[in-house]
Amino acid sequence: MRTRIVTIALLAWGLVSVAPSLAAQEPTDLQALIDDAAPGAVLDLAAGTYRGGVTIDKPLTIRSDGAAVIDGGDDDTVITVEAPDVTLEGLVVRGSGDTLDREDSGIYVKAPRVRIVDNRLEDVLFGIFLHQAPDSVVERNVIGAKDVFVARRGDGIRLWESHRTVVADNVVDGGRDAVFWFCDDLEIRGNRISNGRYGLHFMYSDRALVEANALIDNSVGSFLMYSKDLVLRRNLISGNNGPSGYGVGLKDMDGARLEDNLLVGNRVGVFLDNSPQTVGIEQWFRGNLFAYNQIGALFLPSVKNNVFWENSFVDNTVQVTVQGGGRFSGNRWTNDGVGNHWSDYAGYDADGDGIGDVPYRLDDLYDHLLDRNPEIMLFSETPAARALDLAARAFPVIKPRPKVEDPAPLIRPPAPPEPPFDLGVQPSATLLVGSIAMMAFAVVVVLSTRRRRSL
Amino acid sequence: MTAIVAPNAERVADVPERAQRRAIVAIARKELGDAVRSRWFWMWAIAFALLAAVLASVALPGSRIAGSASFGRTAASLVALVQIIVPLMGLTLGAQSIAAQRESGALRFLLSHPVNRTEAFWGIHLGLSVALLAAASAGFGAAGLVTAIRSGGAQAGAFLRITVLAWVLVIAMLGVGMLISVFARRASAALGIAVFVWLAFVFLGDLGLMGTAVATRMPVDALFFATVANPIEAFRLAALGSFVGSLDILGPSGTYAVDALGPALMPVIVGVLVLWMILPAVGAWIRFRTAKDV
Amino acid sequence: MIHIEELTKRYGNLTVLDRFAMDVAEAEAVALWGPNGAGKTTVVRCILGLVDYDGTVEVDGLDAVSRGKAVRSRVGYVAQELSFYDEMAVVDVLDFSASLRGFGTERVDEVIDLFHLGDHRLKRIAELSGGLKQRLALASALIPDPPILLLDEPTSSLDAHSREEAIELFERLRDEGRTILLTTHHMEEMGMLVDRVIAMEGGRIVTECAPAALADELGLRVWLHILVDAENTAKAQEALAADGFDSRLNAAGIVVEVPAQRKGEALKVLYRAGVEIEDLEVWS
Repeated sequence: MRTRIVTIALLAWGLVSVAPSLAAQEPTDLQALIDDAAPGAVLDLAAGTYRGGVTIDKPLTIRSDGAAVIDGGDDDTVITVEAPDVTLEGLVVRGSGDTLDREDSGIYVKAPRVRIVDNRLEDVLFGIFLHQAPDSVVERNVIGAKDVFVARRGDGIRLWESHRTVVADNVVDGGRDAVFWFCDDLEIRGNRISNGRYGLHFMYSDRALVEANALIDNSVGSFLMYSKDLVLRRNLISGNNGPSGYGVGLKDMDGARLEDNLLVGNRVGVFLDNSPQTVGIEQWFRGNLFAYNQIGALFLPSVKNNVFWENSFVDNTVQVTVQGGGRFSGNRWTNDGVGNHWSDYAGYDADGDGIGDVPYRLDDLYDHLLDRNPEIMLFSETPAARALDLAARAFPVIKPRPKVEDPAPLIRPPAPPEPPFDLGVQPSATLLVGSIAMMAFAVVVVLSTRRRRSL
Repeated sequence: MTAIVAPNAERVADVPERAQRRAIVAIARKELGDAVRSRWFWMWAIAFALLAAVLASVALPGSRIAGSASFGRTAASLVALVQIIVPLMGLTLGAQSIAAQRESGALRFLLSHPVNRTEAFWGIHLGLSVALLAAASAGFGAAGLVTAIRSGGAQAGAFLRITVLAWVLVIAMLGVGMLISVFARRASAALGIAVFVWLAFVFLGDLGLMGTAVATRMPVDALFFATVANPIEAFRLAALGSFVGSLDILGPSGTYAVDALGPALMPVIVGVLVLWMILPAVGAWIRFRTAKDV
Repeated sequence: MIHIEELTKRYGNLTVLDRFAMDVAEAEAVALWGPNGAGKTTVVRCILGLVDYDGTVEVDGLDAVSRGKAVRSRVGYVAQELSFYDEMAVVDVLDFSASLRGFGTERVDEVIDLFHLGDHRLKRIAELSGGLKQRLALASALIPDPPILLLDEPTSSLDAHSREEAIELFERLRDEGRTILLTTHHMEEMGMLVDRVIAMEGGRIVTECAPAALADELGLRVWLHILVDAENTAKAQEALAADGFDSRLNAAGIVVEVPAQRKGEALKVLYRAGVEIEDLEVWS
């Protein structure tokens, strides 16, 4: 037996309040509710479980306060939107199928101007899939992936030909990418994307503004491909350490601008492959912090027309290098007499204008050898590798030709950009206890030797 | 003068069983006490703790921005510090141990007691091990404290794993030092050899391999295994593995290792380190037990 | 108590002990006597199992190698070089030694009293004089009240006064019924202490006898330094030569080499010849 309480109390506003029976054994049939609703109605779902696999074929608002669970029963797509102007708000969507080529999703949209806000998606193959849904808004959703082997995961967010869409303040963990195919003029802001393959992945999508996102512990923070005029600003891109991982990778790009980004602790901070691809276009890298990466910036050979200034290169194992060796000819490390800050700059600033009086030159012997013998990367950061550089400086018999020459290095690092997220590093209780235990051990050992009668 | 007979003692002074069992502990305690009382020990321990704490605080100002990445810097700096100081501590202390006691005649005094050579050897080894573990723990404790207060705890596990690896390394180096010690004629020679071995482990080995790789295009598998055979490198690679997660970052050789050994990679590297902890010490023990010249 | 046979010890090509054999009975005191390099110390080290050897060494019926710990628990040993741990304090060394033998600090306090080390208990070993080190070594050796004492050159690092004291102490220890084996190259001071002397040279036993008979057995010679008036020198040398004594001159006077038991004869010769002796020294 199923009791359905449908209150049509506020027809004037088209507001429908729906509550499933508390005693119900089976989930409420959401599809029936949708079918019964008038176009433009608002379905206010009460707490409880609703059966998924529904299709919305008319403009509707379906909303809840986070207590209504739409469960797809691990099959197919949970919610399919086929009509424009649909709003999904405050829902919990869970349990899609896991078939990649059927694109099983939490929410699959095929119409423009949808709003998907404040939803929580759990255990879904694809999270939010917008297919030809321009002018949409995807905001404040929390998206968790199916716990399957990485090659079988779907994308947390996937946009296909959905121009002018805003993707903001979402939290995506696990899954494959947040990927944008053929979408121009996107606004990607304030998202936090972690533990995926490519945090943000642009394919043939021009003029996006990518601002204040946190891309953390993915294989690649952001891979930008075949797109024009992307602007990445104030993003925190950290811990992207996949086997061929990059903080930001650019392939066949034109006119990208990276400003005030924090590129910290990645395998490679920025990777450049044939970007810019068009002659006569420059790409700008300004005010970014490249810190603690294995390689600060990695260029493929013959990449040209990139301009770096006002960036800080701090303690990257290799500050900048060209894959397979070589020099950065055709790129500039200074603009209008302003260069970059290099933590390994050994020069001085006698006239006190904040600009080093001798150029910064990257001419480490180890780096130089590394270019031609990448296998000795095995020894990076060993005392031996450092000794090699020291020896080469002390006895400059072998003077490698500098790879990089920054004629106007900044003595002080520019103030680091304000991070969009505080990573919320907490004092670690485990480490605290462990450290105190270790010190206590040392003290006990020392005290135990004081039992001698001479003392 | 009164009679020299011990009170309640039977005329035949057989050592009670329990005392024999305690011989190793008694010798270890004595060695530990001597080590802790020597100014070398304090110099090492304090230098290590200070450097470790300074490294941890220098590497961390960006932690709000960098989160666990800045821990990676702390860890990398600590690993480099450990690579240099910890082996030197273990090697010199180990090299001095038996050679100096033999030279001064103190070893003869010790062995004229109802103690056999096995007990004497492992007693010394145990005592010095505890002293070195305490010194290393003081350093890691100081660094850990700074890290724990100032940085994230996401990698507490990695930090503690590195600590354990450093413990294994320092005992391995003690064993190598004691191996030098049992073979050396004089304490000064033992110390000289120990310093040379340290140079070889820390610098010459790697430089030689780098040179060979550059000059001969050495295959990556040979390069990787030759590197891992060095206990200090085994420590570094194991430590790197525990806070970076993968040795892919080490270029083609690292990628080779990850591909070829798969999940066995870390066990192999740690296994090498453990073998270094066991084999030289056992070799030194066998030599000490069989070549009785004191 | 100590039984040794066919004991051979080689260092490389050098044979230090060559089929050495000896027995020491319970409560007997025996001296191993001989020049440096005779192998005395090596015998002691073999008994303690400190070195490898070929042959048989038994203490109280126990093999010195296979039952080394039991042997060493019956033996108190005073080494020639008196080495301990230089940086440790006297009381700590004794505590350590006691702990290795299963004795507690009470016994250590007793031996500290017995050997009058109370004033020195907190001194570092490196600060001790030879005499104090000697007392410390004996104190340590006597912690377990051992039935057997091995004393390797026990008086070599002592001044004359300490030497007398030490020998007196050894006699007491002997009288308490301990078996004592000591090495020395100053036989005269040990004469009263030991029952028997085993003279060694080149790793072999030269002779074995009571201490008083040693000089005869070995045909020992001494040097008499005789000071006479300058004008009597020639006369004295002639007289000595006439009776078969070889003599020569040095800055101090006439030097005559004589068998140890004929010292008096040489002096009688000079007396009969009417040479007045102004001073006399005996060198051995």
